[in-house]
Amino acid sequence: MSLVALEGLTKRYPGGVTALDGLTLTVEPGIVGLVGSNGAGKSTLIKILLGLLDASSGSAAVLNLDVATQGLAIRQLVGYMPEHDCLPGDISASDFVNHMARMSGLPSASARERTAEVLRHVGLFEERYRPMGGYSTGMKQRVKLAQALVHDPRLLLLDEPTNGLDPAGRDEMLDLIERTGTEFGIAIVMASHLLGEIERVCDYLVAIDAGRLLRAAALGTFTQHTGTLIVEVDERPDDLAARLQADGYVVRVDGSQVLVVIRGDATYDHVRDSVIDLDLALLRVEPRRASLEDLFRDAAPKEEAA
Amino acid sequence: MTSAPLGGRHGAGRGGSIYDLGYRVYEGPRLGRRAAVAALLRHTLRTAYGLGRSARSKIMPVGLVLLATLPALLAVGVIVLFAQFAQSDAAAGAADALSPVRYSTIFPFTAVLVFLFSASQAPELFGRDQLANTLPLYFSRAISRSDYAVARMLGLLIALLVLVLAPQLILFIGRVLVASDVMTGLADELPQVPTALLVGFIIALLVGSLAAAIAALTPRRSYATVAIVAVFLIPNVFAAILVSLDIGLFGQLAVLLSPADVLDGVNAFLFDSRADNITVRRARLEGWTYLVAAAIWTAASLAVLLRRYQRLAA
Repeated sequence: MSLVALEGLTKRYPGGVTALDGLTLTVEPGIVGLVGSNGAGKSTLIKILLGLLDASSGSAAVLNLDVATQGLAIRQLVGYMPEHDCLPGDISASDFVNHMARMSGLPSASARERTAEVLRHVGLFEERYRPMGGYSTGMKQRVKLAQALVHDPRLLLLDEPTNGLDPAGRDEMLDLIERTGTEFGIAIVMASHLLGEIERVCDYLVAIDAGRLLRAAALGTFTQHTGTLIVEVDERPDDLAARLQADGYVVRVDGSQVLVVIRGDATYDHVRDSVIDLDLALLRVEPRRASLEDLFRDAAPKEEAA
Repeated sequence: MTSAPLGGRHGAGRGGSIYDLGYRVYEGPRLGRRAAVAALLRHTLRTAYGLGRSARSKIMPVGLVLLATLPALLAVGVIVLFAQFAQSDAAAGAADALSPVRYSTIFPFTAVLVFLFSASQAPELFGRDQLANTLPLYFSRAISRSDYAVARMLGLLIALLVLVLAPQLILFIGRVLVASDVMTGLADELPQVPTALLVGFIIALLVGSLAAAIAALTPRRSYATVAIVAVFLIPNVFAAILVSLDIGLFGQLAVLLSPADVLDGVNAFLFDSRADNITVRRARLEGWTYLVAAAIWTAASLAVLLRRYQRLAA
C-alpha cells in the first residue's frame, strides 16, 4: 500500500501563484521528510492531502483513498498538526484534546482515556489542567501533536513541528516524532525547511522547490559516494587541474580543492603521480559524499536552502 | 533529553503491552461523522450557557434567561394572588383577562433580552475558532465544513429556544395549576401550546441564524456584538420613520427590512392578536407577509453562514 501517491498534482492560487507544479510521486509508509525552502509548496501539499484545499489539476491519494472524493475517509485516518498557532487560550489542554477526540468520533469515555494517555506521551503532566494561554511555545507544540495523535491515526501530517522551538525543545520534539513513528508504527509526513531535522528523523526524503519535485528517495541514497574525488593541495590547484585534464579527466577547481571524476582505481595513482610531478604538497584526497544541501545548491543556486 | 516517559520501548510496537504507560494503540469504537457532529452540537450548547467554563461566562446567558422569565413569574404570582383573594371565579377571570403578560405578549416583553443573548453568545460560538485559528483542526477531522456550521447553528438555536420558551413554560404551568382543577386548566391552555412552540421556533431560528451569520463574518468579538445588536435595534428606527411618512406601499414594506419588527408581526399574526408594535400596526400589512419575510431573512442568513464556512481558508 502506498502512503501517498501524487499524479501531476498542480495547485494554482487565484492571482496566478503556482504553489505546486505537476508533482508526480509515490511514497511508501515510514517517516517521510518533506523538505523545501519557505514557499516551496509544503503546506499546500499537506492541505491538499487532507482535503482542506482542492487541487487545480492532477490527482492525489492518501492510503489508497482519493483526496478529491474520499476526503472524509482520509481525515478519519489522519492526524494533522498545522504550522500556525491553533489553540484557544482560555481552555486547558486536557479539555481541548478531549474535545478534539470527540470531534474525531471517539465515545466520551474513550476520549477521556485517550486524552490522558496522549498528553502523557507528549510529556504534558500537571500543566494540562491550566488554560493554554499561559503555555510556552514548547508546550503548545506538544498539545498540537497530542491533538493530532489522540484518535490513533494511521498517518500523521506534521507541518513544521519544530517551529519556534529553542534547540532543546527542538531535540525533544524530534525525539518524540521519531519515537511515534518508529515504535508505534504510525506513518509520518513531516514538512520542514531544515535539512538537519529531516536527516535526523526521517528515512525517506521528498524535496520540493517552487512547487516542483527535486528528488524523492530513501535518505541513504542522498549521502552515498558521488564518484568524485576531492584533492586538496597547498598551492597552484589550477596547474594540477590542467595536468589531469590533459590526461583526459573531467576536473573542476573549487578554491584550493580540485574535484576529479573517478575513473576506476587508476585515478588515485594518476592523481598521486601528477602531484609529485608538479612538486605540490598533497593535503587531502577523499571521495566526496553528497550532502543534502547539494540538492538545493544544484537546483536553486540563488536560494539559501538551509 | 526528553521529559516524556519512555513508553513503548522494548519492542512494544502496535498492540503493545497493557502495563505500558506511554502511547497505546486505540482499538475502541470510532463513531464517525454523526457522533462528531452530535458532540459539537452538545459542546456548542454547553458553551452557549457557559457550562464547563468560568463562572464569569455563565453570568450573561444565565442572567438573561432569569430576566426573561421575570414577567412570566410576576404574571403567575398575580394570578395566584387573585385566585386566592378574589371573591368569585368571575373576578379572577376578569383579572386574568386584564393581565398584560400572555403567551402572545411574552416575546414583545423579552425581545431585547433575546437579541442581547444572541449578540453576546453568537460571537463566542462563531468567532472564537476563527480568531484562535482552530478551524483547520476541525476541518482536518472527519466532518465537513457544512457539518461544522450546522452543528454550531443548531447549538445556538437550541440555546435560544430555551431562552424563548422558558417564560412560556412558566406561564403555562402557572395557569394550569391555578385553574379550578388541573384537567380544566390543561383543556384551556393546551390549545395555545402549538402556537407558542411554533412562534418560539421561528423567533429562535431567525435571531440565531442572523446573529450566527454576522458573527461568522465578524470574528472580532466586540465588533460582532455591536453589529448584532445594531441589526436588531437600528432598522426599526428607519422602518418607523418610513412607515409613519405614509408614502404608500413602499413605505409600508420598509417594516419588513427590520428583523425585530418582522418577528413582532409574526408573533401577532400567529397568535391572532393585536401587535403592540406601533410600526407593525401602522404598516397595515397582511399577517402572512411577516411570515414570508421571516422565512427570507432566515434563509438568507443561513446561506451566508454556510457560504462563509465553505470559503474560510483552512
